Formats: sequence, C-alpha cells, structure tokens
Amino acid sequence: MSSKTLSSSTASRKSVGWRFLGSELSVLFRRRRTWALLAALAAIPVLIAVAVKLSSGPPRGRGPAFLDQVSQNGLFVAVVATIVAIPLFLPLTVGVVAGDTVAGEASTGTLRYLLMSPVARGRLLAVKYAGAVVFCLAATFTVGSVGTLMGALLFPVGPVTTLSGTTIDVTESLVRIALVCLYVTLSLLGLCAVGLFMSTLTDVPVGAMAATVVASVVSQVVGQLPQLEWIHPWLLTHYWLGFADLLRDPVVWDSFAANAVLQAGYIVVFGALAYGRFSTKDVLA
Amino acid sequence: MTRTGRKSWRQWTPAAIAAGAVGAAALVAPFSANAAVDLPDKTAAEVLALVQEKDVAAFSGTVEQTSNLGLPDLSALDAAGGGNGSPNDDDGGDTSPASAAMELVTGSHTAQVYVNGPDQSRLQVLDQLEERNVIRNGDELWYYNSDENEALHATLGDHEKPDGGTQAPHDLAAHFLEKVDPSTEVTVGSDRMVAGRAVYDLILTPRSAETLVGSVTVAVDGETGLPLGVAVAAAGSSDPAFSSAFTDISYEAPDESLFAFTPPDGATVTEVDPKDHQRGEHTHKETAEAEKPTVIGEGWDAVVVVPAGQQQIPEELAQLSTPVDGGQLLSTTLVNVLLADDGRVLAGSVTVERLQAVAAGQ
Repeated sequence: MSSKTLSSSTASRKSVGWRFLGSELSVLFRRRRTWALLAALAAIPVLIAVAVKLSSGPPRGRGPAFLDQVSQNGLFVAVVATIVAIPLFLPLTVGVVAGDTVAGEASTGTLRYLLMSPVARGRLLAVKYAGAVVFCLAATFTVGSVGTLMGALLFPVGPVTTLSGTTIDVTESLVRIALVCLYVTLSLLGLCAVGLFMSTLTDVPVGAMAATVVASVVSQVVGQLPQLEWIHPWLLTHYWLGFADLLRDPVVWDSFAANAVLQAGYIVVFGALAYGRFSTKDVLA
Repeated sequence: MTRTGRKSWRQWTPAAIAAGAVGAAALVAPFSANAAVDLPDKTAAEVLALVQEKDVAAFSGTVEQTSNLGLPDLSALDAAGGGNGSPNDDDGGDTSPASAAMELVTGSHTAQVYVNGPDQSRLQVLDQLEERNVIRNGDELWYYNSDENEALHATLGDHEKPDGGTQAPHDLAAHFLEKVDPSTEVTVGSDRMVAGRAVYDLILTPRSAETLVGSVTVAVDGETGLPLGVAVAAAGSSDPAFSSAFTDISYEAPDESLFAFTPPDGATVTEVDPKDHQRGEHTHKETAEAEKPTVIGEGWDAVVVVPAGQQQIPEELAQLSTPVDGGQLLSTTLVNVLLADDGRVLAGSVTVERLQAVAAGQ
C-alpha cells in the first residue's frame, strides 16, 4: 500500500485506503470470472494427477520435469503443475485480472464514481495493483494446494528427493512447495505492473489483457533466442523457472533475490508509467 | 496545443525518472563493487609465490562459467529439441561421457563449490530444473545426476587422487599455472574486485606462435592467494572465449553434512572401479587424457594424440567438422581437433597446421 504521509489526515486517509482495498478485494473475489480463472488453474494439477494415475507412468525423461516422480510421490503433482502453469496459464490469468484493473472500471463507467470518492488517483492505482497481487497469490497457491491435495489423494506421499539427491521429510517438503508458490507469485508481480500500465492506456479491458499476455509471451520467446543473450537478464520472465533452486539441498537463494530485484525494477518503472498516465488521464466515461 | 504538450510531458515524467533511477542503479552497482581497489604492488613472481604458498584449506562459493568457443551451445540444442523435458535422453546419446563433458565446457553454468581440506569437495552444477553433483568425501567419490536419477560411486585407493578436482577456478588456474615456463610471459594486470575480494590479475601470454591461446588471466585473491577466476582469450581477441570465476566466496569451513551423500531411493547406482575405466571421472573435460593418449610437444604447443578406436566422438560434434588435408577438423576458438583419416584423434590449443604436422610426423 502507498504510504504517502499527508500529516493532517493521515489516519483517516489510511483507513479509507484500507477500506478501499477491502472493497476492491471483495468485488474481485465475488466475481464469477475470478473463480472461473482459479478453477481453470486448479484443473491443471487435477488433470496431471488423473492422467498419471490412469496411465502406467511416463518413462524417465519424457514430459515436464519431475513428471515421472509423481506416481511414486504425490507431492510432486504440485511441482509439476506449477512448471506446466508458469509459461502460459498463470500469465494468462494474471493478465486478465491486471489488464482489467483500470480499463474494466472505465469500460463500465464506474471509474468516474470511484474518482469522486476522497481517494487520490495514486492511491486508487495502488489499491488496484494490490488487488491484482492478492490474485497472483491466490492463483499460485491454488495450483500448489490443489496439486498437493490431489497428489495426497491419488498417490503415496513420503519423503521427497531434492535435486541434489538428498531426501527431505514431508513437512519440509510442504514448506518447500509453499516457498515455490511464493517464488512464483513474486515472479508475476512485474507482469502485474505491466498489466496495470496497459490498463491505464485503454478503456477496452480485452485490449489491456491481451497486451499483458503478449508481453509475457514475447519476453519468453526472446529468452529462448541465444542471439539476444545480452538482453536476457533484463527480461520479465528471466527467473521464472528459477524456483527449482528451492528444491535443492541446501536451498540456493540467489535466484530468489535476483528475481526480487528484477521484479522490483519492473514494478517501479511500470508503476511510474501507470501513475504518470493515470494521474493525467481525462476520465470521460 | 500547449496544454496537451505540457500534459504529455507531465504524464511521462514519473516514468522517465523511475526508468532513469533503475537504469542508473543497474549501471552503478557493478562499478561501485569495483571501486577503489589498491593492493600493495607485487611482481609477477611474487604473485605466483602467493598462489603457491597459499594456505587455504576450506572455502565455498558460487562459480559462474561462460564460454564462447564458436561451437553451438549443445545444452541449448538439447533443450530446444524437447521443450521442458529432454527426449533425447532415450537415445542414450547425450549421456555418453564425452558429450556430457563437452556440454559442461561449452555451455554457461552456475555451480556451487564446497571444499574442506584436500579430501572433501563438492561441485554442485545448478542447471535449470536439474542438478549434477560431484562429491568427494574421503575415499568416496559420488556423481549424481538428478535428471537421470543416476548415481555413480567409486571408492578411491590410498594413492589415487582424482585429478582435476572440482574444475572450479582454483583447479583450472593450477592447470594453467603449471604451464608457466620460459615459453610464457607473465605480467601483473591492474587490481580489481572478484567476488568481493581484491585480486591481482596474473596475465599469462604464450610466446609461441602456434597456439590458439592469446592470453590467460588468473585472478588471485590478494590476501589468501586462492585463484578466484580464470579467463582464456583466443589469440587476436580481447574478449575471453572461456571464463570461470567465483561470484561470491567464503573462507569458512563448509558444513560437514554437505559432503555426506546417500543415493536416494529409486536411483540407479553404478559402482565404478576407478582403475578400470575412469567412468566416474566423466564429468571432467579431459576425458581424452583418461584414455592414456600420448602427448606430443610441451606447454602451449602440446598436442594430445588418441590412438585409433579409443575415443568416440559424439555424433553432433562430428557433424560440425569440416574436411581438411588428412582428416576432418573440428575447430573452436580455443581448441582444434583433427579427426585423422587413419582414426587417430589429435587435439590441442594449436593451429591446424601444427595438428597436421604432428599427424604427418608419426
């Protein structure tokens, strides 16, 4: 949340901000669309778990990483589902929510009424962004928790083999899965900021959503081209698969930190772009 | 008109400031780390002595390795072939020691290195969604590959020390510093920072005209004498074709548990007799040397000759070779490999002409 201190009425403004965030979240999570997005994400681990259960198990080295371990240990369903969801499904859902933040209000004509309430535009933007961040958290933990549950239902659950070849117990494994979810949430924060900016550019939410998803896809495509290697460390998606560092023993935190710095950079730049655009925007509808 | 002009200015100001601040931070951060390094002046001989007399028993750190040998990145080929998985694994093609070794040398890698005394070391290669470990704990030598869930185990005898060690900068540096003889000009470059430590740059320049190596730069920790980085530049180029350096280092003894390895349930464990086949060594790049080849020449001009039929060249590499007089040439910026028509394989950091001369001379 924004922490601008306007000495006279800080307390009241703060409470307005929190109340505003509360109403934003309740609107977001009362929408049928939000639940549909989360349900679509939840379907990924369900599909993976059921498919592995019904088949005899894929041979080693085929399909996404860790898939072959699912039949021996259900906890891997969450990890495989996360790997599958990262390139497209998670950015897609986040793009829908972040792209809708401002443009959605503008298209339905409610933006005008929002701005009539005693809330500064910067604060409105911050609340909208915070709402999208909470959705990211909900999205990644949906994949992780549904994956863990499905894995526990259909497969044996036991100590997990880390990438380093050591074994960690179930509690530690659950902590690691939660850390992976946090890492993925962090990875999506930059994309959220891009979506917020796109959303201030247009009154057509679909345009902002599409542009946000395209941004993540383009970033991943560029990340695949060795000719553009110099640009790779700057890409939004550069550390997206780095969560595997949390599955090593000992845990390697470097990519977590590097990812945080990178995403913070995106938040600052695109947050400022969004603020500049939104604070001077003529709200006509 | 003026109003819209002013508005668009106002509109993008915050973004311009933010982008400027982020850009400046990104540019300044590496420079500030490099700022104001001034070690007491030392001659090349004194720095060499510093390395030789180093008394570093234990350390751990992160190593970044990049190479630009003019070869396609084999790991990238592998990844491009199969999205997330590596379907080529079924062919057994890329599990061959030679191609695993090539992959280690050609790609960019990040690894963690832990060393505790002469008998405990661990190299942890952090690949995306995979990991490879080479762990030495006393007499035990383990290699573990998470992608294959495969472990190799060897028990070392008393007098058998694995050569090459961890292939981290300090071991690579030892390899190059061995070559320091009258055929090498040794100078000291300007002080700089590597992994947060002030280092002397020891620059080895071969006097030979037949080698492909232009210079080798070894970054030596000014305090402890441990080599923290090695960069090899090809002749006529200032950009390193290969570099391996610590990005952070700690001189505290690593935890004992890091060297304990028990293969996980379900892993394929292969016992390897180190005398027998040296398979456990297959992560090391000098696979050719493990086959007891002959070495012709000395120092920078050395050429390794592998007798016919002893060395399998991975198919993907053979495809990259070009025909020359006397065989097929596999050329990189730092190493030339001649696959002679008679089946011998000649390799060295030398010109094609020298390889051909050696091939003809035998």
